[in-house]
Amino acid sequence: MPSTFAVDLEKMSRTANTGLVLLLAVFGAAGYLVSFYFHFVTVALFLLVLLNLYWRYGQTSHTLLANFGFLAQTRYIVESVGPEFRQYLFASDTEERPFTRVDRAEVYRKAKGIDSSEAFGSLLDFDRDEIKLRHSFYPVDKKDLEPFDVAVGASRGLDTTFHIRRPMMISAMSYGALGQNAVRALARGAKLAGTVMNTGEGGHPKYHLMEGCDLIFQMGTAKFGVRTEDGLLDEDKLSALATLDQVKMIEIKLSQGAKPGKGGLLPKEKVTAEIAELRGVPLGHDVISPAHHIECKCPASTAQFISRVQHVSGLPTGIKFCLGRPDEFRTLVQEMKRQDTLPDFITVDGGEGGTGAAPKSFMDHLGLPLFEALPIVHRILEDEGVRDRLVMFASGKLISPGRQLEALSLGADVAYSARGFLLALGCIQALQCNRNTCPVGITTHQPHLQRGLDIADKARRVANYVGALHHDHVELLAAMGKSSSRLLTQENVYLPTGGPVSPASQELS
Amino acid sequence: MTHPMLTRAAQGIAAVLLLMAAAMKFMGDPGSIEIFARLGMDPAGRYLIAVVEMTAAMLLLSPFAALGSVIATAVMCGAIIAHVTELGLVVNNDSGRLIGMLVVVLVCVAYVLVSRRKEIPFVGETL
Repeated sequence: MPSTFAVDLEKMSRTANTGLVLLLAVFGAAGYLVSFYFHFVTVALFLLVLLNLYWRYGQTSHTLLANFGFLAQTRYIVESVGPEFRQYLFASDTEERPFTRVDRAEVYRKAKGIDSSEAFGSLLDFDRDEIKLRHSFYPVDKKDLEPFDVAVGASRGLDTTFHIRRPMMISAMSYGALGQNAVRALARGAKLAGTVMNTGEGGHPKYHLMEGCDLIFQMGTAKFGVRTEDGLLDEDKLSALATLDQVKMIEIKLSQGAKPGKGGLLPKEKVTAEIAELRGVPLGHDVISPAHHIECKCPASTAQFISRVQHVSGLPTGIKFCLGRPDEFRTLVQEMKRQDTLPDFITVDGGEGGTGAAPKSFMDHLGLPLFEALPIVHRILEDEGVRDRLVMFASGKLISPGRQLEALSLGADVAYSARGFLLALGCIQALQCNRNTCPVGITTHQPHLQRGLDIADKARRVANYVGALHHDHVELLAAMGKSSSRLLTQENVYLPTGGPVSPASQELS
Repeated sequence: MTHPMLTRAAQGIAAVLLLMAAAMKFMGDPGSIEIFARLGMDPAGRYLIAVVEMTAAMLLLSPFAALGSVIATAVMCGAIIAHVTELGLVVNNDSGRLIGMLVVVLVCVAYVLVSRRKEIPFVGETL
């Protein structure tokens, strides 16, 4: 005899299936003999019995329904509302992914300009291995801190050298991935906050340009906006774009964290007249983004291509990639040194993945995480003696000042975030970016969903977020006893053994 | 198997007939009153059925046509039970006009139900 209470689900479902038919008979009789009103239930039961018969004997695609009938369907129904229920009721404040409620609440508060201090201890799990910043016995007075200033292009002595004055920039998100209201709110917020925005690889940045903020033009592998019909670089288009006053830098995307080493296909149904015009592609055809720039076949041709873009545009030009093999990166740097042509900046994207939709296996299993990749890239650049000739940007879940300073300590000069800014715009992490159904009107083109996204109000939140991040940045730097983020090194972070940035992965390089 | 245009046409026909039926019940058509009296449901049941019919008709004309067809099918099943158990096939010497209407609506809503089965809330995915 079993010692614990147990429900025999099979027996229960058999009883339920028979009971349903009996109940139908009872109500049918009651409707006939007592009152016709009983037949309201009779017809409902009748339809349910028909449905149950179909489930049990008429279909083969659902095993549970075939074996157990309608009771099994309650399982599907409960399961289908599971994600919402878990998020609303059961998920703890620190367990949601990719961003926990604690992470998101910090961004929301910063964006709304509410005090984000907390009491009675951290909600994080301190027994876990985590990177921590190291403070100093001798904090610096905040008024002695140098203003944040990173010059991109200075080592080449460019007239167009650009000074980044905020430690946080808006990472690559195209019009296409985002709706026009979201793009404009971000651009206006960037202008208000005095930070830089990346256009993403969506071609001519029509909506990004509307609000007057500084822009980094991103050139994806399909070179939207600056391509020839064959997908090669169109130098005339690039130089025309580079003369635009707002375009300050060019970023050549070699790969991205969400799907490193993978191209994409824009189906012809999605190529509207506007998209075709902005991206410079023909109407009525599928548009293929290759997995890599056609010009970049080997280290030599890659370095040549970077140099070509630098000379055609005349702007500070950098590359963005998600690190895979450190040895490949070292070879590339050596080749660049040989040709004496270095990018003006390097963006290291963490393999964590971002707003870009990607196959699950690419999202989850390809590419080094940011905090692993940063020290490797930094060290290779130092080994080759070129670290001070370029600037390093980092992206990958850098939505809080703590993580940003950790990234700066591990080698980066400026932090980049896309999703942090989506949260500032009101993102609720509904995880529907690729379905055109974003409930808060950010990653959708449907007018009725974009209606609620007020550009002026959300632009202010974006600006508040950057301002609050800069404020925290200053406070943390002062506590760490550094007068400038330039002085941060790996000594300023605590790297637990067995945690991120493990010695094993660094030996690879 | 099913054609989108046919489905729309079936939705339209069913909705119009259901609205007509509901209107007759609301306005107190003597025939309706007599039928519901024989079922022992006048006037409350008559109004109740009218409201349900109207709801189903409006749903059939909306993006929730699948739900509308489920409700309409249920009402038609109820009507069949009424004719079989209480009323008989010929009511008030109408030579089967009423039951003819019923069959037309039932065929229409069944067609909608089948062609839009995937859209039925909660169970659509399994059909």
